[in-house]
Amino acid sequence: MVNIIKGLYISCDIPMAQFIINMNAALPHSQKFILHVLDDTHLFVRSDMAGSIRDKISEFREQNTYEKPA
Amino acid sequence: MGHGEKGRPSKRHKAKEDHRAEEEEVYYTEDFEDINQDGENKRDFTKLELKPDHANRPLWACADGRIFLETFSPLYKQAYDFLIAIAEPVCRPESMHEYNLTPHSLYAAVSVGLETETVISVLNKLSKTKLPKEMIDFIHASTANYGKVKLVLKKNRYFVESPFPEVLKKLLKDEVISRSRIASEGNDGFTISKSLGEIEGRHEELLNEAQLAAAAEEKEAHAFEVDPAQVENVKQRCLPNALNYPMLEEYDFRNDTVNPDLDMELKPQAQPRPYQEKSLSKMFGNGRARSGIIVLPCGAGKSLVGVSAASRIKKSCLCLATNAVSVDQWAFQFKLWSTIRDDQICRFTSDSKERFRGNAGVVVTTYNMVAFGGKRSEESEKIIEEIRNREWGLLLMDEVHVVPAHMFRKVISITKSHCKLGLTATLVREDERITDLNFLIGPKLYEANWLDLVKGGFIANVQCAEVWCPMTKEFFAEYLRKENSKKKQALYVMNPNKFRACEFLIRFHEEQRRDKIIVFADNLFALIEYAKKLKKPMIYGATSHVERTKILEAFKTSRDVNTVFLSKVGDNSIDIPEANVIIQISSHAGSRRQEAQRLGRILRAKGRLQDRMAGGKEEYNAFFYSLVSTDTQEMYYSTKRQQFLIDQGYSFKVITGLPPPDTGAELSYYSLDEQNKLLTKVLTAGDDQVGLEILDEDTDDVALQKARRSMGSMSYMSGANGKIYMEYNTGRNKGQMRSKPKDPTKRHQLFKKRFV
Repeated sequence: MVNIIKGLYISCDIPMAQFIINMNAALPHSQKFILHVLDDTHLFVRSDMAGSIRDKISEFREQNTYEKPA
Repeated sequence: MGHGEKGRPSKRHKAKEDHRAEEEEVYYTEDFEDINQDGENKRDFTKLELKPDHANRPLWACADGRIFLETFSPLYKQAYDFLIAIAEPVCRPESMHEYNLTPHSLYAAVSVGLETETVISVLNKLSKTKLPKEMIDFIHASTANYGKVKLVLKKNRYFVESPFPEVLKKLLKDEVISRSRIASEGNDGFTISKSLGEIEGRHEELLNEAQLAAAAEEKEAHAFEVDPAQVENVKQRCLPNALNYPMLEEYDFRNDTVNPDLDMELKPQAQPRPYQEKSLSKMFGNGRARSGIIVLPCGAGKSLVGVSAASRIKKSCLCLATNAVSVDQWAFQFKLWSTIRDDQICRFTSDSKERFRGNAGVVVTTYNMVAFGGKRSEESEKIIEEIRNREWGLLLMDEVHVVPAHMFRKVISITKSHCKLGLTATLVREDERITDLNFLIGPKLYEANWLDLVKGGFIANVQCAEVWCPMTKEFFAEYLRKENSKKKQALYVMNPNKFRACEFLIRFHEEQRRDKIIVFADNLFALIEYAKKLKKPMIYGATSHVERTKILEAFKTSRDVNTVFLSKVGDNSIDIPEANVIIQISSHAGSRRQEAQRLGRILRAKGRLQDRMAGGKEEYNAFFYSLVSTDTQEMYYSTKRQQFLIDQGYSFKVITGLPPPDTGAELSYYSLDEQNKLLTKVLTAGDDQVGLEILDEDTDDVALQKARRSMGSMSYMSGANGKIYMEYNTGRNKGQMRSKPKDPTKRHQLFKKRFV
């Protein structure tokens, strides 16, 4: 039998993959979005998650960036 | 370059002269959008009128007090000398400097003898545009009262002196001051004496005009005497929150016949460099000694300035340093540069309690020894009594930026000194207490430009680099877990990729360049792990003085010891002239000062001058690496830390891909297995172990004495001692109270204000 799932293929660096996995792990079971962890730098996730993953990542990066006060 | 330069407007001004006005406008509308209610842009300078010969003038003055100086102008040197005297440097990259006029900087200007009109007229001459009216008003307002009144110690009598008799009359209307006055016999007027004008030729050189020459003419000074016991109160009344005539303190040491002279001269081989001369001339500009602060980068010869000042004043000198090691160094510097005899100089630390013979001499000690409030041994009690009772010609204070204001007040209130000189490399503090120094010691007399000193070959030309180390998969996964929030720092510091980068750099510099390397780690766990793994000596808080000296000696002399690991004890004062490479693996959050101090460890110029100059064999001869784990908080701190150095004109180069991908098992933690073992180690270590090293000096950044250590409470360690004091006051914790001043009424004026 063949199962077809439409999803989003994410290619990123090792830490960001870990970040997404961590984000997934923090969610309750019903909201988990990672379908497959393909390898260290590739993930297959639910297709509707692109926006929120981007938001989370940019929020995370924001925290780690220093802006000189004007 | 790229990385370090973001957000720095000045670079844009490099383009052609003619376009500059437009460019400035474009920049401000783009980035700031600082538009007030009327819809008018405050940073729109299109209306400013360019003078016809603006190309020959070096600076732009803006209405908001900011001044931009072109460093490529032929008048740069003169303009720089002038600006540094009147304004605060904000950012000094290569081609364009930014300065800011502040009330404090103008206070400093007045105190070195510049007058309001001189400031305005010189500024106007140097400016490309007509001086904005706001700026002129600001200078008038800020300097109207500053420096009009001086407190002079002459033959051990305190005089309030001013060239303006009306100001003195105004002061005497104040009750406190008039009560403190000692009337001179049979004469109700003021004592009038002639005082020499400034002997610096600087401004006359710059603009040879009659109006400036007037400043050098003799002036009449009016004065009245005040009761020595009331000096403190008089000073207080003159502060900006009361009468607003802040007093300048000057010491007429040549005419001081009461205090015995100290026979010391600079040795002939001690040749002060031009900038050292300049800073001294600010201090002794009118033949008297002014109190104030001199800012020179580490390695630029601060000690020579200190020793020169002491040998010019030629009176007893109390020299305060931050720890025992630098006390030894100061004593050594005094003997090295001056003709002082061994029996005229003594060190007073917990380990060596020497006393000088004769009636004048130099005492080198630490802030703690003087400010220490607890019980002392009988021997040190005697010495401290001597320090208290003596009248010091010069109070020389090293590293003034690290000492907290309350300790200063204590030291200053205990010691009677005619003149105070503060020395520092970095006049920044994270708590912005730096302005306190302005009235505790005096205004900033001189500040050197780092890049000019590099160009002159006086300090090393440092290549700064930020090495980006990606986190490994396993470490990052743990880093992200909520339950590891306390271990975050340990995780990013112990990142195996960082370790490998560090090991690679150490090997490269040891083997290829035969450099001497210091590795800094604030995180004690990391320090010990790294040092043990790499089999290198380390020094941290618990290392004894004897062992420290031994390790440093080996590092200086032995060919086999080329790397030493230091915790933050090495930030200040440990002088290791041999080192020329710094690798920083972890650091104290976002402290700009720490970064600058660490860089300072390698600034002392090494090698031959011609090799160091641009185009020489070794254009860069010192290296400063900051290892940063990417995608972690460290990135934030690292950028913040670099701000001070970037403002001094340094740029950080970003290096990725260290160690090179082809390196394998020759560096540690190559296999996943090893990495996982390390991870387990980090995770199983207690939270207290993996945190920051907590030194007693964290409370105030000054090493405290052993005796004090036992008294420190947790709150004291955490630096919250000021607040905790109020809690103790409620009587809950009587045991701790003993280490604090007992009777509130006996507290110093300034303390009262703080704690009420």
